[in-house]
This record gives sequence, C-alpha cells and structure tokens, in this order.
Amino acid sequence: MSLLEVKNLSIMFGGLCAVDDFNLSVEQGELIAVIGPNGAGKTTIFNMLTGIYRPTSGSISLDGEDLIGLKPWQFAKKGITRTFQNIRLFSNATVADNVKMAHTMHNDQGLFKCLLRLPSMKRSERALDEKVMELLDRLGLADKADLLAKNLPYGDQRRLEIARALMTEPKLLLLDEPVAGMITAEMEDMARLVPKIRRDFGITIILIEHHMNFVMPIADRIKVLDFGKTIAEGTPEKVQKDSKVIEAYLGGGYAKNGNAGS
Amino acid sequence: MKGKKWIKAVYPAAVVALIYLLVTALRGVGIMNGYYNQVLMFAGINIMMTASLNLVNGFTGQFCIGHAGFMSLGAYGAAVVTSMLFKNTDSVFVFLLGLVAGGFAAMIAGMLIGLPSLKLKGDYLAIVTLAFGEIVRALLRLVKPIGGARGMIGIPGYANLGWILFFMALTLFLLRNLIHSPFGRAFIAIRDNEVAADAMGINTTKYKMTSFCIAAFIAGVAGGLYAHVISFIQPDNFSFTKSADFLVYLYAGGSGSLTGSVVGATLLTILPEFLRFLADWRLAVYAVILVLVMLYRSEGLCGGLELPFMRIRRQELYEEPLFGKKTKGKGEQA
Repeated sequence: MSLLEVKNLSIMFGGLCAVDDFNLSVEQGELIAVIGPNGAGKTTIFNMLTGIYRPTSGSISLDGEDLIGLKPWQFAKKGITRTFQNIRLFSNATVADNVKMAHTMHNDQGLFKCLLRLPSMKRSERALDEKVMELLDRLGLADKADLLAKNLPYGDQRRLEIARALMTEPKLLLLDEPVAGMITAEMEDMARLVPKIRRDFGITIILIEHHMNFVMPIADRIKVLDFGKTIAEGTPEKVQKDSKVIEAYLGGGYAKNGNAGS
Repeated sequence: MKGKKWIKAVYPAAVVALIYLLVTALRGVGIMNGYYNQVLMFAGINIMMTASLNLVNGFTGQFCIGHAGFMSLGAYGAAVVTSMLFKNTDSVFVFLLGLVAGGFAAMIAGMLIGLPSLKLKGDYLAIVTLAFGEIVRALLRLVKPIGGARGMIGIPGYANLGWILFFMALTLFLLRNLIHSPFGRAFIAIRDNEVAADAMGINTTKYKMTSFCIAAFIAGVAGGLYAHVISFIQPDNFSFTKSADFLVYLYAGGSGSLTGSVVGATLLTILPEFLRFLADWRLAVYAVILVLVMLYRSEGLCGGLELPFMRIRRQELYEEPLFGKKTKGKGEQA
C-alpha cells in the first residue's frame, strides 16, 4: 500500500476551479516534485494536503486512513507537515525554541508539572533540548540556536523551517518552494540537504519548485500542473521532453518549432 | 558560577521579604501611614492582574479587554465565601478557600466565554471580551442576595500586605515557569504565527483556552484579594475603565515581558499618588507621561527585556540541581 493516496482532488473558489481532478500516489521513501507555472494550483494542493483548505471533492488518505475534514493540527499529528513558501517562523522566539515549539504535540508533561517546574519536567526539557540541538547540528544551525529567528539570514530561515517541520516527526514532508529567492550557492546547499534529509530520516518528500536545475537531479518523479490540471507526469527525463510541458513553460510557438526534446 | 546560581534562586524571594520587612519597619516608626500601605497593596494586586493579562495579550497574542470582568467574579466569589457562607468563622482557611473559590468562579466564566469566542481573532475577540466585562457587571447589578447595584459591604479585611506580596510572588513564579515550558512555547507560537503553529501540530484552540483559563484564575484570585482589602465592592468598581487601566499597565510596561508587567503596574499605581500635589492637573500630567513613554519606547518600558530571575535560559538545563542529590563525578568517590 502506498503511503499517501490522493484521488480526484478538486477545489472550487466560487466559480474558479483552482485544482481539478488531482491524483497522486506516493510510495514510502519517494521524492516527488510538483512543478508548474505561477497560479497552476501547486500551493493550493499543499493547503489541501495539510488541512488548511477543505477540498470540494476527492479523498486524501495517509497509510490508508482518510484525512478529509480534519483540522491542520490533526494532519500534522497524523504525520504530514510542511514548510511555507513565504517563510512563517515564530520570529520573536529563538531558533532552539522554534524547533521545540514543533514538539508540542509530543509533550507528555502536564500543566501542573510545568507550573511548578518539577524535577521530572526539567529532565524532560533537558532531553528535548539535547534532541533539538542534535537536529540543529545536522542542519548546520547549532551555533545559532540562541539567536532570534527573525535575525537569521534568509537561507538559514529556510533551513530552520525544515528543522521545525522535521521535529514533528513526520511521515511525509511537504516543501513549498524551498529555494525561492535563494542565490546559487544557497540553492546548491539546499540541493544537497534535501536528499540528505530523505536518506537520514527515511521520510517521504513532496516538493514544489520552479527551478528546474534544482528539481531535475533530485526528484524520482515529477508532476506538472497548469491551470489546476495535471498535464504531465513521470521521470524527470520524460517530463523534460513532453511537448505540453514545454508549451506551458515556454509558450506554444516554441514547442511547434520543433525545439522540444534533446 | 555556582555561587551566582545560588543567589539567583534565592534573591527574588529575599527581595519580596525585604520589601515586606521594610514597609513593616517604616510603618512601625510612623514614616509610612496606612494609606501608603494600601497603595502598595493595590500595586501588588495590579501586578497580578497585569501579569495574567500579559499571559493572554502579551504571550498568546490574543486581545482581551474585559479583564476586570474576571476580577469582579473573583471578588464576588471570594466575598460570598468569607462574608456569607462562613460568616461566623474567622480563619485563614476561610480566606484561602474564598480566594480559590473566586479563582474558580472566574476560570469557569473564562471557559464559558472562551469556548465560542476563541475562534475569533484580533478586533473581533476584543469586542467579545469587552462585551463580557459589561455583561458580568450588568448581571451582578441584578443579583439581589449579593447587594445588587449597591454592592457588598462588611467583607472581612483578611488581606494584608504580606498575603498580597505572597500571592504576587507566587503568580510571577508560576507564570515564569509556565512560559518556559511546552505550554508557554505553544502560546508564543500561536502569538507569532497562528497558521504555522497549527501546521506544526499545535491545537491552537486548546492552548488559547488554557492560557485564557489560567489568566482568568489569577485575575479571580487578585479580585478576591482586592475585595478583602477594601471590604466593600460594587459592580461599578469593575467597569471598562478598570480593564483599560490594566491594558495601560501592560503596554506601558511592555507586553510579552513579565518584568514589564511588574514595572508597569507598580509605577503607574504609585505615580498618581506622587502627583497628588498637582491637584486637578494630576490626571492630565499622568496622561502626558503615558504618551511620552509610548512615544519614546513604543515597545513599553521593559519590552523585550526580562530580569535574569524572570527568565530561564536553555543552558540552565545542564547545570546541576541546587538542592538535588549530588551526582558523583569521575574524580569523586563516596
């Protein structure tokens, strides 16, 4: 059985069909990219996969369990977490606290233990801190643990978003344009980091991205959207040669002139 | 390093004890009269009110402007216990029972108002909490057994400076611990970015509710203390003006800083008394001072700052416990 099964997912905003009949089946450990021009409905799909939008029709199931109608925090609890295209950190908290905040749902310390700061609560806090520092170390943020999130450079903020999402111990990680606005060097760092995370944590990743150079080498499969419809899917090589994809990205004339393919 | 930690653990309690001894001594030699003593007691109560409001407004990022409503429920709850239910029993336990009852009365009201309204955000929540404060006041005016609009008289004056300082210190201690715990971090996450908090698995409604209830409980206890200081309460003592006072203390001191709540509430409670020589100009000057504070320090006097003992740093988790068993190091053999 596949990890994530999305069937006939559609959403209407008034009369506009933002996503039409989206199907996706993701196996454990896969890295899938969703690409498409601006406004193609990529982020809308992520918003449905994390419970922020409720789809008009269709089904989403994780490990065979239906998720439609749950609240965003319940999606996270079931094992889907995400990063945001426009960074959404807890900006007035420290880097370490940002990551600890994502551990809230695994917290087993009761209110009274916390109010009185009992020794067992302190021990649990220490264990959490060690775990967080280890995670930050793996993402190269350990030396910045006590800075406020808003004071981090842009590239580090993106990494922190990933660290925070990993702290929820997800089965499926959704990365919404992880290299948006990055310079080439930062993008290369991220291109090494994403496959590393996939390997080290053994998690499944779906990512949205515009940068073909970033997506092509790391993705197992690519889905291409345009105006809410899936226009192509398959391996990076196959998608690159698809005439519909070239049309969507470069305009009709380019494909007809026979420049498609190698 | 070890000495420093020892000082840090003990000196907040020592400061509170010192204030108490100092005031007692000053009263003993006649420098300080009962009036100043009462102003200090109000300062202590206002610190409790402001710190609890800070939990909701400053740390959880919700906007509650009906905090006096919780205070009034606490005041009436406590007064009913001490001056009606246990009218003829004169005991500290009755007083404490009254305070707890007041706290729970406010907390239950907090739950009732919180359940439907915490789905609202920002200005809309503010309107609901404002309405709540006024509804409580209107209802209390209607209940005849507790005096209606005339209020309750003859509440025993159990509360003294010692009790108030004790409850104030306890409030600050508990709030500090709470803020530096998974609960406090969840509150701050909701404040900083509710969408992201939700996406990271934080049940925002549950944590907003928790924050609201704890704040209401503390406000209730503070109200109970207030009733037992002035011995006479009436619904109009807890009007919107009172809620606005706490908001002023909070934002002048610095929201999101417990130190700020202490500084804001203390200074602004005592300041009007110092300005008494200005007679009719007193309130005008008070307002001008507030405007100047907000102009030159828009984040409040202590915004973004916290005294060392109001803060728990991550590194402290790795220091050995002060009163715990000594863990044997490698060099040490028993």
